Amino acid sequence: MFEKSLGLALGLLGTVQSFTLMVSRSFRYLFVHFRLRESLLEMDRLGVGSIPIVFLANLFAGLDMALQFSVVMAPYGATNLLGKVVATSVIRDMGPVLASLVMSARVTAGIASELGMMATTQQIEALLVMGVDPVDRLVAPKLLAGMVMLPVLSVVGDFLGVLAGLAVAMFGAHVPAPLYWSGVRTALTLPNLVNGMVKPFVFGFILVSIGCYYGLRTSGGAQGVGRATTKAVVYAAIWILIANFLISKLLIDVWGWKL
Amino acid sequence: MIRLEKVTVAYGSRVILDAIDLEVPTGKTMVILGESGSGKTTILKCVLGTLHPHSGRVLANGQNIATLNDDELLRFRQRMGMVFQEGALFDSLTVGENVAFWLWEHTDLSEEKVEARVRTLLRFVGLEDSIDFRPSDLSGGMRRRVAIARAMAAEDPAFMLYDEPTTGLDPFTSKSICDLMRRVQREFSTTNIVVTHDLTDAYRVGDLFTFIKDARVIATGSRQEIERSSDPFIRTFLSLDS
Repeated sequence: MFEKSLGLALGLLGTVQSFTLMVSRSFRYLFVHFRLRESLLEMDRLGVGSIPIVFLANLFAGLDMALQFSVVMAPYGATNLLGKVVATSVIRDMGPVLASLVMSARVTAGIASELGMMATTQQIEALLVMGVDPVDRLVAPKLLAGMVMLPVLSVVGDFLGVLAGLAVAMFGAHVPAPLYWSGVRTALTLPNLVNGMVKPFVFGFILVSIGCYYGLRTSGGAQGVGRATTKAVVYAAIWILIANFLISKLLIDVWGWKL
Repeated sequence: MIRLEKVTVAYGSRVILDAIDLEVPTGKTMVILGESGSGKTTILKCVLGTLHPHSGRVLANGQNIATLNDDELLRFRQRMGMVFQEGALFDSLTVGENVAFWLWEHTDLSEEKVEARVRTLLRFVGLEDSIDFRPSDLSGGMRRRVAIARAMAAEDPAFMLYDEPTTGLDPFTSKSICDLMRRVQREFSTTNIVVTHDLTDAYRVGDLFTFIKDARVIATGSRQEIERSSDPFIRTFLSLDS
């Protein structure tokens, strides 16, 4: 029993160590050996390629949220606050979290399976042999792309979510558009905006780094690729939710209970 | 020259290489023979520095690979070409891009010069017409040829390592790959290590031969010396092949 626990603890320490090493090397390469072409390509693949699903997710989340809030608020005659409530929820939490969770299915899985396939077909070894660090060539550009593109997607997704909320507010809850927009404007406070930008930045890092980590460590052929991909997606989703709570808590501690 | 001195590699209690000694003189081809799982590929990994031996030294032109840090290793590998079992071509790149990869990474050559070098290398391996193909469009033999061209992309590769370069190929293609490996050695004076379990191909490309069994070197020498060996394993290996 003790030996098993010790083995687990050592395994966990080893994982933390190798993950930290990979990430620190990536950041080092971003400064000492920046790859503009690869980074732009990754931004296109990870970010632009994810636009349709992020938009769809935010559109329906905005619609649903406005619908649910209007049902709760209508009996209290508070539907005039719908714009503020929808915008606050979307910007602070729903937008970044939803975009990240949807993207974890696409981006994290894509990265883990791509790198996993490369690892099992010795392409990663081939890179090393050719004097190229896989972290430099493969991980660093993806990491940068994730941290840049997720905030961008999140902002556009937030706007779409708020816009979808307007449709429900106008046609479902009969809230006039100017009233809805004035509510939205009051939600555009510094704490909310910081919240809405910091989260996707961190989530972008989580999505990509976990995908890369499990992808690079893949072994065992096609089955191994499947295992690595599943692990990466599950861990990325869990860490996004954990990080979401921690960032919320941290920012609330910094800003106080302001909206 | 590549030299392994008392190299030991073990995973837990499982010993993969047990105090191996090996010497490949400059410009020669050493073929390492043995059963599957006998540790042949592990020797290549030690030479590449992707695996550090638990004890012993691996020297390439007098430089101890085990003492190099990550950056020094990456620089050291720039003078080394490796041909993997299935080629290990980058499947997101075309044939031409695979061969150009090393040049893009380690030189400041203009695109025109890179393309000229890529065409020269692909002509050398007989695949200039396939420059725009994807690796998935190639046969096994063609993939190995591209892998050889890619490994030769460095202006002055000092060492070439081949891991089972003819596995899974028909006899004609195997022979053509062996002929190509010989041409590489002749024209570029590289020091080569070839891992294989195919004796016919080993005789085609090798100057020296080493047999590995149970993690140890049981014989090393020229073809004549190997054929004179009285070791029962080698006798069986030679008789099975013939």
